[in-house]
Formats: sequence, C-alpha cells, structure tokens
Amino acid sequence: MELVANNLSYKPDDQYHLNEVSFNFQEGNLYTILGRTLSGKTTLLKTIAGLLTPDSGEIEFDGKNFLKVPVWERNVAMVYQQFINYPHLNVFENIAFPLKQRKIDQSIIYEKVMDVLKSVGLVGFEKRKIQELSGGQQQRVSLARSLVKNAKILLLDEPLVNLDYKLREQLREEFKNLFSKGLADKTILIYSTTDPRETMELNGEVIVLDEGKVLQVGPAREIFENPNSLKVAEISNDPPMNIIEAKILDNNIKFEGINLEAPQHLSKLTEDGLKIGLRSSDIELGESGHEFEVELAEIIGSETLLHLKRGDTKIIVSIEEVLNFKIHDKVKINFKIDRAYAFHNDGKLASSPFGGLNG
Amino acid sequence: MSKLYTFLKYFFIVFWAVFVVAPFLWALTTSFKDFQSVNGGVTYIPWVDFEPNLEGWKVLIKSPARGGVDIVEPYFNSLFVTCTASFISIVLGTLSAYALSRYTFKAGLVKNNDITFFFISQRIMPPIVLSIPFFLFLSSINLLDSLVGLILVYIVLLMPIAVWIMVDFFNKVPREIDETALIDGCNPYQAFLKVVLPNSISGLIVAGMFCIIFGWIDFFFAFILTFTEVQLLPVKIVALNSSVTPWWSLSASALVSVAPLIIVAFIVERYLSKGNLSGAIK
Amino acid sequence: MNFKHKYFFLFPGLFVLIGILIFPIIFVVRLSLSGWNSYNPGLDFIGLDNYIRLFTDDPRFWESFFRLSFLSVTTVVLQYVIGFALAHMVWKDIKFKRFFRVLFLVPMMTTPVIMTVIWRTFFHESLGPVNDILSNFGFSPKWLTDPALAKLTVIIVEVWQWTPFMFLLLLAGLLSLPKEPFLAAAIDGASPVRKFIYVTFPLMAPISIGAIIIRLIEASKIMDTVYVLTSGGPGTSTETSSFYIFIKGLREFQMGYAASMSFTYLIIMIISLTIIAKVLTKLLLKE
Repeated sequence: MELVANNLSYKPDDQYHLNEVSFNFQEGNLYTILGRTLSGKTTLLKTIAGLLTPDSGEIEFDGKNFLKVPVWERNVAMVYQQFINYPHLNVFENIAFPLKQRKIDQSIIYEKVMDVLKSVGLVGFEKRKIQELSGGQQQRVSLARSLVKNAKILLLDEPLVNLDYKLREQLREEFKNLFSKGLADKTILIYSTTDPRETMELNGEVIVLDEGKVLQVGPAREIFENPNSLKVAEISNDPPMNIIEAKILDNNIKFEGINLEAPQHLSKLTEDGLKIGLRSSDIELGESGHEFEVELAEIIGSETLLHLKRGDTKIIVSIEEVLNFKIHDKVKINFKIDRAYAFHNDGKLASSPFGGLNG
Repeated sequence: MSKLYTFLKYFFIVFWAVFVVAPFLWALTTSFKDFQSVNGGVTYIPWVDFEPNLEGWKVLIKSPARGGVDIVEPYFNSLFVTCTASFISIVLGTLSAYALSRYTFKAGLVKNNDITFFFISQRIMPPIVLSIPFFLFLSSINLLDSLVGLILVYIVLLMPIAVWIMVDFFNKVPREIDETALIDGCNPYQAFLKVVLPNSISGLIVAGMFCIIFGWIDFFFAFILTFTEVQLLPVKIVALNSSVTPWWSLSASALVSVAPLIIVAFIVERYLSKGNLSGAIK
Repeated sequence: MNFKHKYFFLFPGLFVLIGILIFPIIFVVRLSLSGWNSYNPGLDFIGLDNYIRLFTDDPRFWESFFRLSFLSVTTVVLQYVIGFALAHMVWKDIKFKRFFRVLFLVPMMTTPVIMTVIWRTFFHESLGPVNDILSNFGFSPKWLTDPALAKLTVIIVEVWQWTPFMFLLLLAGLLSLPKEPFLAAAIDGASPVRKFIYVTFPLMAPISIGAIIIRLIEASKIMDTVYVLTSGGPGTSTETSSFYIFIKGLREFQMGYAASMSFTYLIIMIISLTIIAKVLTKLLLKE
C-alpha cells in the first residue's frame, strides 16, 4: 500500500501553508518531516488525516482518491504535540474509545487495550483520570489510543516537544523500539519534528519542509551529510550550521584576516559570494588558534554553546563540557576545515566533505 | 494606612451588605404583620413591636374565591415558560455556538463574527420595539395570551445569551479534542455528542443559569402579551400591588417569588471562580 | 475543519431566531409608515408623516430620551464604581468571602418589578422605614411624589438591582487575570494604590469596557421599574423613552406612531452605543 500526494497546496490566507507538496510513502516505513515551527508540518499531517482539505492537489491511498474519504472513515491515527485526550474519560475508556466507535466486542476491546497499555508501560493506570497523569503519561495514553486502532497511517505531530529533556530521551527510545517492533510492518509512520537530532536518531526517510515547500527528500544520513542548500543545512543542524562569508584564493580560504588552507573538496571553487558552512561541533578551542571574542555563553545540559564574534563574522561553537566564560573574553579556536561545506551565492550546495556535488 | 484601608473595606462591605438585605428584611417582617402593625406607625421587631401572625402567608395558597391571592398557578406558569424557553435556547444556541466556534462560514461579506454579532445583538433590541409588532403578530396567529406565544418571545430574549456564553466557552476548549474524535471514527455529530458535550457541562450550566435568570425576571413581555388566560408571576404580583391587597400578603408573595433564584446565586458563585465567564465579556 | 455538517449545527438556531424576528422587524418598519390607531386600525400608507411629527412636534419624546440617557448613564457609572470596589474587596481572601460574594449577587436574581413592589412600601412617605428613621432627624422627603426625588429613588432602586451584574462581570474578570504582573509589582514593592492604578486597572480595561457596554444596553431598557415605582410620574419626571412609547402604543393605541418612535429609538440606541464603545475603548485602552 502506498500514500501518494501530488502538488498539494493550501493557502488559507496570504501565506502558503503547503506549496506544491508531493511525496510517495510506502507501508512499513518511517517518514520524518523536519521543519521549523510554522513550516507547514502540522498542516501537512492534518491534510493527510483529512482534517483539512487542500486548495489543490491530490492524495491517493491504496490507489483510491483519499480526498473523497472523510476523516472518520480514513483509519488514520494521530498524536498531537499538546497532550490531547478525552478529559471526561479515564485511561481505559480513552484508549478503548476508537475501538468502541467500531462496535468491536467488549472482550476483544479489553484484550487489545490491556495489550497496548503494556507496550506503553501504563499497566495499572486503567482507572486513573487523565488529569491525574503527568505530561509524559498523558502523551503515552494518547500514543496508546493511536496504536490500538492498528491504523494504516500513524501521524505523530511533534509528540515529544512539550516534554522535559529526560522524558523526551526516554520516550524517543521507546518510540524507536515500538516502530521497529513490527508495528510498522503494515503501517505508514509519519513523524514531524523540529529537532534534527531526533531526525537522525529515528533514522527514517526525511522530508525537509520550509514555508510549505519540500526542500529535500532522502535518508536521514544523506540529509545530514549532503544538505542540498543553505536552508536545509540550517534546518537540519542544531545549533544551525555556521555560515561564513569567505573567499578562496590561491588554495586558501580567507575571512576576517584568517587564512586556512582549503581542503581538496573546496580547492577548485573560486567564485565570488561563496559561503562556507561549518557545524558548531567542527570548531574546537585550542591554545594556538584564531582569536575570537565571546558574545554569549549558554550552558545546555552538559554542553556549552559559545557565541563568538570576529569583525562581522559571528559563529557558534559547541563544546562537550560545561565551561564558564565571561562576555568579552577572548578565546582561541581551530577550524576542522576539512569538514567544511561550501554553498553558492544562491544558497545551493557547491561542495560537501561527504562527496556531494564536486567532491 | 493599611489599617485604615482594612477598616474602610470592611465598613463598605458591611454597609453594602445591609443595603442589599434591607428590602428583604423589611418584606419578611411585613409579611407577618396585620392591619394595626402596618398602619399604626412603622414597626420593626416581631414580638417586641408587634405580634407576628401567618395571615400573609396563608392567603398565598387560598383560591381567590375564598379571599386568597392564588399565586400557585402563575408560579408554575412562570417556571414552565422560563424552563422551556431556556432549554430550547440552550439547545439551539449551543449548536449554533459550536458551529461558529469550530467551522468557518462565509457568504459574501458575512463571516463568522458577523453571524455571532447578529445573535448577540438581539439583546440590544429594546423590548418596547419588539412588543408592538409581537402583540400584532401573536394575535394574528392566535397565540396572544398563551404560553406558547410567550415561549417564542423568550427564545429571542435568551438565545443571544446562550450563544454569547457558549461561543466563548467553545473557543477555550482545544479543537484538537474534536479533531481527535473525528480521527477516532466519529462523524461530526457523534464527536459533538460523545466528546464535546460531556466536556462542556460547566459552560452549559453557566449559560443555563443566565437564561433562567433573564427569563424568570422578565415582566414586560409577559405584561403586554398575556391577559387573563395565562398569568406569569411578576404580572400577578404587580396586579396585586395595584389592587387593594394588604402589604403583608404582598410581601409574602414577593418573597416566595424571588426565593428560587437565590439558589441560582449560589450556583453562579461556584462557577465564577472556575473562570468560565470572563472571556465572553471582552 | 470544513464539513457540510456545519450547517446542521448553525442553522436550527439561526433560522428559529430569524423566523421569530423577521415578521416583527419588517412589520415595525411598515407599521411606522401607517396611521394605525384605535379608530382606524389598518395598514394604510401615510408616508413619513409619523416621523415628521416625531421630529418636529413631539418634545415629550425627546425629553424622555434625554431623561433616559441621564438615568442610564448615572446608574451605570454608579454601578461600575460600586461594583468594581466590591469586586476588588472580595477578590482576595477576606473573612466570609463566599458568603459576601453570594450575597452581593442576590439582587440581580430577583425580579425587578417584584422588588419594586417592596421598594414602594420601603419608601412609603408615612408607613415606610426610610422616612420613619429620617423623621427622627426632622426630615420626611417625598420619595415618590417629588420630581427630583423620584428620579433619585429610581436611581437607588436600579443601583440596588443591577450593581450585582457589574460586580459579577468584574469579579469574573479579576479572577481571570494573569498572576505574573502582580508578582512583578510585589517584587518592585509597589503600594496597593499604585498596584491598582498601574496593574489592576489597566488589565481590567477591556473587561470594564465590555461590562459597561453590556450594562448600558440593559439599562437603556429601564421600563418596568419605572412603571411600578412611579408610573413615569410625578408628571413626566421619570418617564423614559420605552415608557412613553408604551403609553402611546399600548395605552392610546397609536400603533403607527409608536412604531415610528420605536424604530427611531432603536437607531439612536445603536448609533449612541457604537459611539460610546469607541470612546470608552479610546479612553481606557490608551497605551
């Protein structure tokens, strides 16, 4: 079975929420929709669910026109980023709701609900009220409700974004297990997120979405290694990839009075307006490096993000330990320049260290 | 400073409380008086100033033929009209409010907000403007002086209140809950009945209370549109006022007729703190 | 969401409302162009005669309108000030909070005309408690028969009756305010007065506007209280627009003329309420 979309557009006001979106999703696969907030992820998922009708374009599922099928007959499941459950029902009734709607026998409902409760780790919570559960537990209930239906299409709209850091890690791990446990065999899994790390960990097929437009489609690794444009490089890295305006002259990359020997995959590029892209993790502190001034130092978890400045060039460096800096401190850094990307003036990828284009 | 403020605060609160209670206390004492204690100088304290008796209360349930004032039938008429009109207004108003909160309507220049405004703006209509055409309208369809005619008019009075409160209420209920119900296999009607309604009970109670208040306290339409066949409580009591009814039975009947809504005050206060009212006002 | 079901939600209510109203509204306009009265009941067509009479030859209507404006503005201002004060006082914890809240709501739950029947005995010149107490100080005001005092009596009764509604709306507003601004003010060590002027009042501005408009709309309907309390008297000193239209239409049966008055009255109401809403928004929401 496959889910095929052709040129979906949706423009309720003067901005495109979806702009000529096309895709081809196969059963048994996980698809990750990566994009910033308001990039159209939720709109796309709601369109697939049938909650929104696109202005133009087609969706086919299993060879049939999906747009003619109302939501309640589509057999999809959806988990929202807010923890959406039925407040007037307890945990068991919440999960049983979609089954009751199908008029399934009581004893089978009981069996299925208990089964799915086990797989989301909520055994013993059947009689609890939704309001008595923590955020993570509420989201588990809502996941359980979408799993219990055996839906052909399972939509997860940033399901972890409203959870705290630890829970997010833990639930993401559980998601991965669930997805790989054969649940996905007959299901098309569509997972939307703003978090590049999540995308990499889920390791599915990635669709990069921005302003309602599909920018790049490919396996997670491919998106990470060879982003086809500056935009994709920004969206698929957190913190976003550093972009440095530089010139390549005589096999040297020059900016802000710094000269770096160009690695092989960049050496042939000589055009004007070239932009060098370097991940924040590909810059490190060193005793004998180039001097930058600290503008801001944020500590996130066990990481320190250093916002640095030299002349007009601003970069972010991530360091895998907790360090304290003062504003206006001077630091010295080294660039792992062989990991650098180059982008043309129009934002298209010119060369990547992983062999994209002229590598 | 703060001591003075506290003193003034309690002074004002107690002063206002006395002002609120005064007419009730006056009516309550009066209802136990007789001719001598009403007309022979103002009296206040039972057993000290005057000897209380139950005459005023007894006449309430006597038929007019035996010298009573008979407010039993008007009482039930009022209850029936208020409850029926409130119920119809809540049912229809809630459905419309749900549509206006969740779906987009567009017909030419008319959009959701305009339709909502049309509903609510009926409250702006002064009763006198409607009363003359209603008088002629109801008489032309033979519903003048009937309960049905009054219920029709009260629906116009009450539905705007129901729509006003419920639109605001539904706007605060996440629409993702309805969407989830649709995804889980409910059609829009089922989603409304099985998921939206059970989660809207507090909104429905508040809307219901307001409908009952504004239905119960109406006098004007009942006064103009009914005569002899049907009499509502306020009309009956005003009629008593203009006839030679003694003060004690007048006071007793007034107290009996304002009593049931005191319960409504308790209910409204309870839901007040749950914040179900505020948004609608802005 | 956009399903055809939406019409089945919206239409029953909408059509019932339109169905009940459409005839009366069209009819009141048509009636206003006729000379329908008790001698000559019927929808003849006399053009704009009624309106000409209203605008050129009926000072009593305009007097009643200005009287109405005076009464409703005065009562609503008083209700707002008192209602806000009361709501502010029982907003935070005080002794017997719930008791006072319920008590302050009670008057609006009572039927105005029925309470007015009691007020009449309360303000009775010789047998009422007010004058009994005042007579100890040598006063005995004619609450219902002196033109100026009759207005005051109407105002007192209206304030008693409807301050609770203002109180309810404003208390609901206060209870829904976010906590953060107050925390910030507390950290800054703002005095209660400054806290009220710079935090509470500005936050309450949108709710205040709403509450005042709602009350003005309801206050402009003043009619039954006046009918029972003073019957518009003494003379015409407490006669409001609604009451005057009522006398012309349903007492003297000059239906056509009354219709033209009610239609004019409605238009004036809509225009003046719109202006008041705009002005209030400007005044209270000035940034």
